[in-house]
Amino acid sequence: MATLTAQTGAAPTTESSAAVYTVALEKWIDDRVILQGITLSIARGQYIGLLGANGAGKSTLLKILATLTAPSGGRLMLFGRNIGRDAGASRRRIGLIGHQSMLYRDLSAFENLEFFGRLYGVGDPAARADELLRAVELADRADDPVKSLSRGMTQRVAIARALVHDPDLILADEPFDGLDAPSSRSLERLLSQLHEGGKTIILANHHIEQSLRLTERAIVLRGGRVVIDSDSRRLTSAAVLKEMERG
Amino acid sequence: MTSVLRQALLIAVKDLRIESRSRQTLGLVVVLGILIVTVLGLGLGSQHMSGSAATAVLWVAYLFSGVLCFEKTMTVERQDGAMAGLLLAPLDRGVIYLGKLLSNLALMLAVAAVITPVGVLFFGFDLSAAPLAFFAILGMSMLGFAAVGTLFAAVVSSSRLQGGLLAMVVFPITLPLVIASTQLTARLSQEGQSWNGSAFAVLLAFDVIFLVASWLAFEWVIEP
Repeated sequence: MATLTAQTGAAPTTESSAAVYTVALEKWIDDRVILQGITLSIARGQYIGLLGANGAGKSTLLKILATLTAPSGGRLMLFGRNIGRDAGASRRRIGLIGHQSMLYRDLSAFENLEFFGRLYGVGDPAARADELLRAVELADRADDPVKSLSRGMTQRVAIARALVHDPDLILADEPFDGLDAPSSRSLERLLSQLHEGGKTIILANHHIEQSLRLTERAIVLRGGRVVIDSDSRRLTSAAVLKEMERG
Repeated sequence: MTSVLRQALLIAVKDLRIESRSRQTLGLVVVLGILIVTVLGLGLGSQHMSGSAATAVLWVAYLFSGVLCFEKTMTVERQDGAMAGLLLAPLDRGVIYLGKLLSNLALMLAVAAVITPVGVLFFGFDLSAAPLAFFAILGMSMLGFAAVGTLFAAVVSSSRLQGGLLAMVVFPITLPLVIASTQLTARLSQEGQSWNGSAFAVLLAFDVIFLVASWLAFEWVIEP
């Protein structure tokens, strides 16, 4: 198996200084291997592209990093803290944009953001909700129930929900799905701004070119294993695709 | 503790706000409860019914209405992956249980507030001797019922086996609660006194055991 080694140019990271540190992470479901031998060290502030074909294990890895699913084996540290069953403190530093919106469709966009803001103990949840709705250009639809918004608008509210508590680690699972071109560009800009602001971002995406263009380091999964971990600028779409299709 | 209660109330208020927007569940559940009381009352002959039988009919209405409430409040969390949003928050999973329990309890008490007077009129209950005791028995019974229903609604919603499974699981488990509550209410209606030491002990023990066990178990049964 050809594995490109990491040459990211990032400062070496230790267990305690890394945003994400995993050793031999595994996930099994009903005797089926989903992830195997995932050993990663992701420095704080890095922008990572997570690539792989459908079923490669991208979403499962993000769920484990978000502490939504426990790994079957291996070790996970987030911001220097071991993640066991008590992951409460680490969750405050994680924002997840998932396949689903994780919003209440009968509540308005503002009510959703205010609710999650209160749940996370945000100082002024109403002001934060307003600020985020302006950032995702939905201030004029703030009081509309989520069920009345288009797929793209709902996705923008979902992104705002993930950012409501100003997380340090942003996990984005196919966030461009369902977005039109202007919304997609707007989200690219937002993620870049967050990266420039020092946030660590892990972006799972099946658009290879877009991922390589946006991120500074690419991690490619195949069959639940890391097959490429390299500087995004050193990779080409063709090389990544070839590695994804191998085997 | 204050933080736990505040967060649980936040979740409960959110549930009730969602319910107030749709009003589907409460309306449906109240109609179902009244229908059960009326149909069973007419079928069994309400004028000749003993206090125990009349209370049991009321409990049939509470049980079916309650299961619908529990399913609805958990369905809200399953739509669009909202439960994952809750599980991502820095909360003890028990707090999510408590929040769901409070919203279920509020819905159940609202349903009971409509169904019970219908039953009282239909079956000619005389609760004038100790109305407060009746409300205390009803409150304790609903608490235990909601404690069990909230936990198992989470279990069932996490599994692929849904449909009528919740009712099949919850009804047998709540049997001791229903028997104790029926005995206490029947005694209150017939003799004007509620004190029945063993039935009261069963009610109290049921509430305490299932509240504590459900709080602890919720973390292990809930999935995003």
